[in-house]
Amino acid sequence: MSKFFAGSDSESSSSDEELYSSSGEEDKDVSSSEEESSEEDDSEDESSDEESDEETGGAKKGTPGYYMRNQFLKGGSSAGADSDEESEDEGKRIVKSAKDKLVDEIDASIKAIENAKRINDWVAISGEFDKVNRLAERAGKQYSTTPPQYINMLMELDEFAQEAVKNEKQAKKKMNASNSRALNTIKQRIKKTSKGFETKIAAYKSDPELYQRELKGETTPQPEATASFKKTTVASTTSTTVAAADDNDGFSTVGKAGKVLQYTPENIFKTLISIVESRGKKNTDRAEQIKTLEELNKVATTPYQKISVLLMLIPIRFDLTSAGSVVPTQNWKAAEQDIRALFTVLEENASTYRVSESASEPEDIEEGPTAGPDGVKEIPGSVTSLIERLDDEFTRALQNIDPHTTEYVDRLRDEADLYTLIIRGQLYLESSLKQGQQPHTSEALSRLLVRRLDHIYYKPTSVIINSERDAWDKIRSADVTSKQLITPRISGDVAVTDKSYTIQLIDRICSVLYQQQSTIFRSKAMLSHIYHYALNDYYFKARDLFLMSHLQSSIHTADPTIQVLYNRALVQVGLCAFRIGLIVECQQSLQEICSSSRLKELLGQGVTKFGQVSAPDKQRLLPFHMHINLELLECVYLTASLLIEIPLMASLGNSIDAKKKIVSKPFRRMLDYHDRQVFSGPAENTRDHIMQAGKALLNGDWTSSRDLLTSIKIWSLLSNAEEIKTMLGVKVQEEGLRTYIFNYGSCYQSLSISILSSLFELSERKVSAIVSKMIATEEIAAALDQKSNSIVFRKGVELSNLQVLAQALADKSVQLAERNERLAAGGHQLSEQGNTSGPNKPSGQSGQGDRYNNDRSSNQRGQNRQGNSGRRENQQPRPIRA
Amino acid sequence: MSESTSEVQPQREPLTPEGLAIAVKYDLTEKLMPHLDRHLIFPLLESLSSKELYDEHTLLQLKYDLLKDASMVDYTISLWKELHDGSENVPEELIQQKDDVLKQLETYEKSTSRVLEVFEDPEARANLKQDKVANLQFLESKYQITGDMINDLYKYGQLQYNCGKYHAASDLLYHVRILTTDSNLITSATWGKFAADILTLQWEAVAEELQKLRDIVDQRSFADPLTQLHHRTWIIHWSLFPFFNIENGKESLCDLFFSSAYINTIQASCPWILRYLTAAVVAMNKGPSGGHHGNIIFQKRLKDLIRVVGQEKYEYQDPLTEFIRALYIDYDFEEAQAKLSEAEIILNNDFFLADSAEAFLESARHLISELYCRIHQRIDVNQLSTRLNLSTEQGEKWIANLIQGTKMDAKIDESEGLVIMNHPVANVYQQVIEKTKGLTFRSNQVLSQAVNKHDALVS
Repeated sequence: MSKFFAGSDSESSSSDEELYSSSGEEDKDVSSSEEESSEEDDSEDESSDEESDEETGGAKKGTPGYYMRNQFLKGGSSAGADSDEESEDEGKRIVKSAKDKLVDEIDASIKAIENAKRINDWVAISGEFDKVNRLAERAGKQYSTTPPQYINMLMELDEFAQEAVKNEKQAKKKMNASNSRALNTIKQRIKKTSKGFETKIAAYKSDPELYQRELKGETTPQPEATASFKKTTVASTTSTTVAAADDNDGFSTVGKAGKVLQYTPENIFKTLISIVESRGKKNTDRAEQIKTLEELNKVATTPYQKISVLLMLIPIRFDLTSAGSVVPTQNWKAAEQDIRALFTVLEENASTYRVSESASEPEDIEEGPTAGPDGVKEIPGSVTSLIERLDDEFTRALQNIDPHTTEYVDRLRDEADLYTLIIRGQLYLESSLKQGQQPHTSEALSRLLVRRLDHIYYKPTSVIINSERDAWDKIRSADVTSKQLITPRISGDVAVTDKSYTIQLIDRICSVLYQQQSTIFRSKAMLSHIYHYALNDYYFKARDLFLMSHLQSSIHTADPTIQVLYNRALVQVGLCAFRIGLIVECQQSLQEICSSSRLKELLGQGVTKFGQVSAPDKQRLLPFHMHINLELLECVYLTASLLIEIPLMASLGNSIDAKKKIVSKPFRRMLDYHDRQVFSGPAENTRDHIMQAGKALLNGDWTSSRDLLTSIKIWSLLSNAEEIKTMLGVKVQEEGLRTYIFNYGSCYQSLSISILSSLFELSERKVSAIVSKMIATEEIAAALDQKSNSIVFRKGVELSNLQVLAQALADKSVQLAERNERLAAGGHQLSEQGNTSGPNKPSGQSGQGDRYNNDRSSNQRGQNRQGNSGRRENQQPRPIRA
Repeated sequence: MSESTSEVQPQREPLTPEGLAIAVKYDLTEKLMPHLDRHLIFPLLESLSSKELYDEHTLLQLKYDLLKDASMVDYTISLWKELHDGSENVPEELIQQKDDVLKQLETYEKSTSRVLEVFEDPEARANLKQDKVANLQFLESKYQITGDMINDLYKYGQLQYNCGKYHAASDLLYHVRILTTDSNLITSATWGKFAADILTLQWEAVAEELQKLRDIVDQRSFADPLTQLHHRTWIIHWSLFPFFNIENGKESLCDLFFSSAYINTIQASCPWILRYLTAAVVAMNKGPSGGHHGNIIFQKRLKDLIRVVGQEKYEYQDPLTEFIRALYIDYDFEEAQAKLSEAEIILNNDFFLADSAEAFLESARHLISELYCRIHQRIDVNQLSTRLNLSTEQGEKWIANLIQGTKMDAKIDESEGLVIMNHPVANVYQQVIEKTKGLTFRSNQVLSQAVNKHDALVS
């Protein structure tokens, strides 16, 4: 859209509306509108550079919707930004830091207030005023600055309100009730807020330019201004106790001198109590509290004091950021260090103090808890929760960083520290287990184990081993020797590619989690276990575990994150099957999930393109480094489909049910699309390669098909790419032979096996085995002639259409009869309820409660099984979105 | 039994070293042992020593270790002597053990004499009824037989069994089962009697016990599926003894092992049993003489077997299952034949299968040739004969028999040395008629069933 067009359009429409609405106003109150217009002039003079925006903003004054206006304003301001008047804003927009955004928001609100002033809409002003106050407070807290616009606005609004009150008294007609009420509240609120900024307002009044310059010149907050500002805010909160007030005095000294005199070990607990009391209340300044606590931590002498302070400090660090937004990196790191410090204290004093979730609050906080029977004093608190929170925040941070930047990689490096902490936490909890207590009875420990599992289950062996090494290097050996350990300490001589170590590690973690009561732990452990087996090419183990788990039957009621994990495990099992050359199994595992249009959503790697996306949905997404490569997945699925579908297409030829017998719909669709293209150039992307390979194979040209398939670049993502290419080559040869016989068999009377063998570069034995199989399963009407070593095709077996139909009809009637029989055999419902719909469930052949029976019978169904599990996939998107 | 214990002794061995290696490699004794009773393992070891697959001394040691904890002290002592080259310095503890056992026998004999007397008494027996609780009360009131005495009876039976007096043990346990109401005791007694009967070769009784055990294991709602799995595994292993020794045993074996609960157990916990299942299925094929019905059953079992073997390929392979796989999954005749000759060695060296070896090989040849004929149009007699491990002459005879027996549409062309198969093309109309043949009848049956049910419900 052109600048001109945008500008003129909004301007003209605004003037129209202004006319319309102002005339409406005039009807009501002529005098006040006159006053207003004069006001307007004043304000326009003062803030001439905002003029254009004001006008566009003013356009919407007639519309009641707050939201609408806001939207419009944003649009308006961005249109205005195009004009060179707001060069300052423009510069900021390019940077787009969070701080600038905040300032922009403040600007927008101020403008809204200006606009509302003109029409004396005090209700709107009051709404915007609240908003701008909140924003300014945030700015003050996070960046320790107060935008000059805000101060300016405060002053103006103050004047305007006073005038309005005067006018109100003089006016003949009264304002409507809600408006006047809003005016009154605003008056009071302005008074209250401006108190907080008295110094600034004074500074601003005396020399606004200087003030602005100062603010821009210094990125760091002015110590004096902030200190006094904070002091007053704290003072104004009614909740603070006398102790807190004392601290404030102290705090101003801190701000200036940077040294603490007032904090002594004696009054630590007093301060702590005051902070506890202020927690969760409005208007508490958390940054302030953190500083206080940091100081306290420095002066704390006894371990109990240290532990108490740290236990208080860490959660407040997280609380500093409001829910839903990301904790800044430095805050996260500070919290991480605090937790580490906490562990150091705890490990040093393991024999005297213990942090436990089950401990009761001590009666006298200064005395501390009394020692238990084993001489250990228990302090209420949870190291698990702290680590969990840290982990959550880490994940959230990763979710919000663009994965293709170096920032993401930098952030990801912090995982090592986090992982170390998790292991440390695990060791701590293990050592605090009572003698003879089984690890699975401690829920906190299990929670940590789940976290640990979450960090490693999707990683290849070498990565896990390296991170294990790093983590264990940071842990002092003295802490480890204490008791029997769930997980082994990695020894230096473990090779980087030693699968047995990681498998054993995950086995051990899972075996503890399997004993947990909660199904969430168990399913999570199970699925991670399966995933890891599959990742390491233990296909049968993974598959058997999958079947034994019976998760298929309950997964659709499970938590969305677990469903995502389930899908991930299923996909990984499919990929694993492909890697070891089980094409059919691979195709079946991936079938449902890959033909879904919601692949990204199912794997937790993206959200739906259309429709609303809620915040929790976004939170559930996996960070980028955990993603399964979708292109590789598609490539594997299509290749597997190709190897199954192409011979099938050839065997069906032009027969009637050629359309019905489709194994992989997506593959067929793409092949059709590829066919329809007028011109097809050389293969460029993965899909092109596969489709052209498919066409080549269908035409009997297996060498070019193989070359196309093996030249796909994405195979290099697999660790044993060369082996896989060789495997694919062999499969293409075999399937090529089958396709060839299907396609061209009817043209031959006999076909020499030796020729086939040279044509497809397969051994004669292999060729005759493949042909024998085709004959035996009646895929082709032919026989082998041993004497001449050739295939002899039988003639006269092609059926006419009528004959085919007759056979189909016969088959259907047999099916019908069988279905009826089954119904009659188990048809209890039929007689009892007269309910004849649907075939009855097959009566349970296996003994009641016989888990293993069911396992294996589902295994027997073999092929269907994964189809079934896949079918449930289809129902999954709904719970995921819910 | 570890691999290292095997020491080849070629001078006395009819098997080639390779054959021996195969026999040792696929020897299942080690896998079977954990699921068998001490006393049941003994015959396996005996047969092993007669096969001379392993070192004599090792086997002796093994036998000794096996029976050391049993109460067959005399035999243990003789084993010990043999083990130590006829040394007479029998260790003290063995002699001590012997005394203990004798003492125990004496005590139990005394404590249970009362009960046994009652059983001797025809009058008392006549008074025993179906109701066990009533029986107990009756016995207690009239003969002062208490529950403890019955428990003693059980222990006495166990001791007898441990001493190798299986007949006596079997009788005692039978009495225990009649009297007691404790279901655990009944189960244990049944297991004991089952083993005792196996060891005394009373196959009819064994079959009876097997049925009882199956009822107990399958019907009792086991609290713990794992225990049930273990019990089933035991049944599967123990029942190998009767099934390969009685007439129609293989038939029952197939019935039992193919029932869903047991095939699941085999797949889940003991895939090596597939060897016996394969052997039973294949050996049972009577070919054309089995009649039409027999053939259908055979085909069905074969299909099941092929499926299971294919599924468990990754967990268990031996020449027998490989034979099935090569023939029916890969259609590789050469490999099938190679596997068959390996299978022959295994069959001859397997405790259970030795008797069925002939039948298996015969039937396997039959299967190969049948499939071969089905796929081929013209077959060289010579090649077929070698494929079947037969001479040309024998081969021709075999084929002639086959053609006659199966009424296959084939002719031998003597001058060319060929068998010419004529594969009739099934007429489409014939096919449709075949398919729809029984439909009316079946539908009528269903209808009458439904009507009956309705009537029964109404009345």
